[in-house]
Amino acid sequence: MRFSGLLERPLILHGELEYLGPGRLAKRVDAPYRERMRVENGEASVQRGERPVRTFPLGQAPELEGFLRGFAALLGGDAATLERDFTMTASGAAHAWRLVLEPRDARLARRIREIRVDGTDATPLCFTTREGDGDVGVLLVDRLAHAKLAVQVSQPQVDALCRGIDAK
Amino acid sequence: MTSASRRWSLLVAWLVALAALAVYALHTLHVSTDLRSFMPPPRTPDQKLLMDQIGEGPGSRLLLLSIDGAPEARLAALSRGLAARLQADAHFEQAINGAFDPSTLDDTLLPYRWLLSPTLDTHALDADYLADQLGQRVEDLASPAATLLKPLLPRDPTLEVLALAQRWSPPKAPLVRDGVWFSADGAALLLAQTRAAGFDPAAQGAAIDALQAAFNALPDAGAAKLTISGPGWFTVLINERTRGEADRIGLVSTLGFVLLLVLAYRSLPSLLLAGLPVLSGGLAGIATLALLFGSAHGITLAFGFTLLGVAQEYPIRVLSHRRAGEDALASVRALWPLLATAIVSAAIAYLAFFASGVTGLQQLAVFTIAGLLAAGFSTRFLLPRVLPARFRDVAAHAWLARAVGALDALPRPRWLPWLLALLGLVVLWRAPGPMWENDLAALTPVPQDLLLRDAKLRGELGAPDVRYLLVLHATDADGVLALSESIEPRLDALVRRHALDAAELPSRYLPSLATQRARQAKLPDRATLERALAQASAELPFRAGVFAPFVDDVEAARTLAPLTPAAFAASPLGARLAAMLVQREDEWLGLATLSGVHDAAALDAFAESTRGAVRLLDLKAASESLVVAYRERILRALGLALGLLALTVVVALRSARRAWHVLAPMSLATLLVIVVERASGLSLSLFHLVAVTLAAGLGLHYALFFERPVADPAEARRTLHATLVCVASALLVFGLQAWSSLPVLRAIGLTVALGVGFHFCLSILMARARR
Repeated sequence: MRFSGLLERPLILHGELEYLGPGRLAKRVDAPYRERMRVENGEASVQRGERPVRTFPLGQAPELEGFLRGFAALLGGDAATLERDFTMTASGAAHAWRLVLEPRDARLARRIREIRVDGTDATPLCFTTREGDGDVGVLLVDRLAHAKLAVQVSQPQVDALCRGIDAK
Repeated sequence: MTSASRRWSLLVAWLVALAALAVYALHTLHVSTDLRSFMPPPRTPDQKLLMDQIGEGPGSRLLLLSIDGAPEARLAALSRGLAARLQADAHFEQAINGAFDPSTLDDTLLPYRWLLSPTLDTHALDADYLADQLGQRVEDLASPAATLLKPLLPRDPTLEVLALAQRWSPPKAPLVRDGVWFSADGAALLLAQTRAAGFDPAAQGAAIDALQAAFNALPDAGAAKLTISGPGWFTVLINERTRGEADRIGLVSTLGFVLLLVLAYRSLPSLLLAGLPVLSGGLAGIATLALLFGSAHGITLAFGFTLLGVAQEYPIRVLSHRRAGEDALASVRALWPLLATAIVSAAIAYLAFFASGVTGLQQLAVFTIAGLLAAGFSTRFLLPRVLPARFRDVAAHAWLARAVGALDALPRPRWLPWLLALLGLVVLWRAPGPMWENDLAALTPVPQDLLLRDAKLRGELGAPDVRYLLVLHATDADGVLALSESIEPRLDALVRRHALDAAELPSRYLPSLATQRARQAKLPDRATLERALAQASAELPFRAGVFAPFVDDVEAARTLAPLTPAAFAASPLGARLAAMLVQREDEWLGLATLSGVHDAAALDAFAESTRGAVRLLDLKAASESLVVAYRERILRALGLALGLLALTVVVALRSARRAWHVLAPMSLATLLVIVVERASGLSLSLFHLVAVTLAAGLGLHYALFFERPVADPAEARRTLHATLVCVASALLVFGLQAWSSLPVLRAIGLTVALGVGFHFCLSILMARARR
């Protein structure tokens, strides 16, 4: 889901995110529209609805590349890559932990302030990306992927959801 | 005053005069290195355009840069740093490295995007189109690309700016990694356009120095290596190599020359003094050029100094002809009529160059005539007065007497010259390869590995071809743009058929006024647009009023005056367009650069079909036609010079028969030089012609002196001695050049050395007076 200054209500998408190995990701959006995206070999290919597949090299947008590389490393548990690209701070307890990653690269940091991961035990539940202009993207996974959300759900509500593991 | 102190004061006065001349010449004469000032005035339209375009054309001012030897991220940072520095450097018009810079469209130009982009040709800004676009933007916002696109959306929800950026990026751009261009093998790539003409070595050298300084000043350039390629770099490189090799050869041959003269005259002072006439000649030549023209081309000076080599003979003749028991002045007086004949006839012959009408050749004539006269008169009036009194009469050498006897005993069949001439003409007629070399660059070739590297970089960068240009003719700038638009589809078809890889037309940057107006007419008014926008975003989550800046821009674009090339020129892209539009007296030209031309004939056929509106300019063919024109003028001048020379010699010798004895060996030897070079497959260039002329000048001396009837056997020995020293020194200096690895030095060296050999042998055979 996405909170943006341009939007009057958060954008909520449903789909599947798949980690395919180092530097490779696949994303599928099922609703409210259909989109398939694949990232591999430094290229992203996107197909929306029935439109032809568009492919573009990630090098044209280094910030995007850095973000995706970080994300893939996070999903793949690639500690070395993460350590190189981000400063990491961990807090909380084993059943309710939080990991905060801040980009080391100044250009990426202008776009992405931090990536926050909330999880319990071995399972991450929320990936929250706070962007430079205050927009926030939240990825709810595992059991939270099917959480019921109000149309006008607010950021604090989602935040509580991510951290509200204790309450359950 | 004693004779010794008189000698010293004269010598000092001479040296001071030379120093003053040198200071004057160096401060006044501007030496140009731009190839254009060397060329004859252009006549055909292609030649005229070539004169503008040679070096100035967008393709030839482009330097291709690659940076390697460091990790990718570092290379990308270096590429960005270098591009930023070059953009701020006055030597460079622009530097691009593939980084997308949205600021290329500033706020004043931004509303023009509707007029510049082809979107409105196929779509209307109605509810359907907007709904489709806004739907895509929602999807963009949910994608990782959101962070890049968000800042653009309120003003530009249809992403017109990106469409334009794509249209304006080079037609065949390299890979982009880390935001900048990279080659397949991991080197960062850049293009830098110099302000200086591509074939101006001095100006290009300054730009390349600035470029290298900028690179070295980058923080942590460290182990990273900058590689430069392109026409400007080659010009500088070739210039350095030629100068370096000429200097090395010059040093060795000077040492050899000094050694030879020491051996011949056993006197160091005489030797040093013998250098003064040529020095005087060179300085007088430069000073006269400075006085009459103010500037000269580097090649003209090089040709001039080559031709002035004749003057080195004057002091040698003086040294060899000094007689025992007589002071130097008396010996020179006896020698002077003949020496004066040689000098004056050469000077008169060079007058023909003055009449050629080509500035370069006129300068050559002025330099050579002034130089020969100054060297001649200083040999006659100054040199004998400063020579040391002690010397060795060379006639005393016993081996010389034997040599004269041997030469006298040589059989001299009268039919031999005729046979040689006949054989020569037959060989000339059947010789392999083309008679003339019209490609000046063939004489200063770029090493193969550098050419390969250039081709590779050019291919990766999609940089334009330096040889071909498409020229668009119209009555005004807008006409050029309209024509450019109309041929765009046909060129696209040629690209699809692989006749070429890409073409960069002026209309890619700026559409014609008519097209802009047509697009403008399709823009909806504010109320219509707002209705369409409301309808389009009804189902979408965008905040109300978020696209107000977009609506304002469209409204502003409806009343804009269409963008003219002049108004567009203020933007960085305008500079690029300005380089493609050229105003002539009564017409405008558009220059479209082509890259990867595979089928010039197909392009030519396309140009033909436009009935003159579009022409394919082959810069190589046009420059060769200029060289042909130049050579024809030189040949005409040489023909005239030969006539003048013959006339002068007849008048001076007061006998046609004696003049024939002088001129026949000279002409035959010149023919034989050309025959030998042609028979070995060499094609003749301008440099060969100049070298042949120098050799003929030397040959004239040999023949004149051998032909002189002398009663005194000692004088015959002195003549032979002088000629032998002259021949040996010329063979030494030019023979060394003939071994050079550079074709231009080889051309001059081989031609003169061969010429000296033939002139000497034939003078002995045909001119030498038999006693």
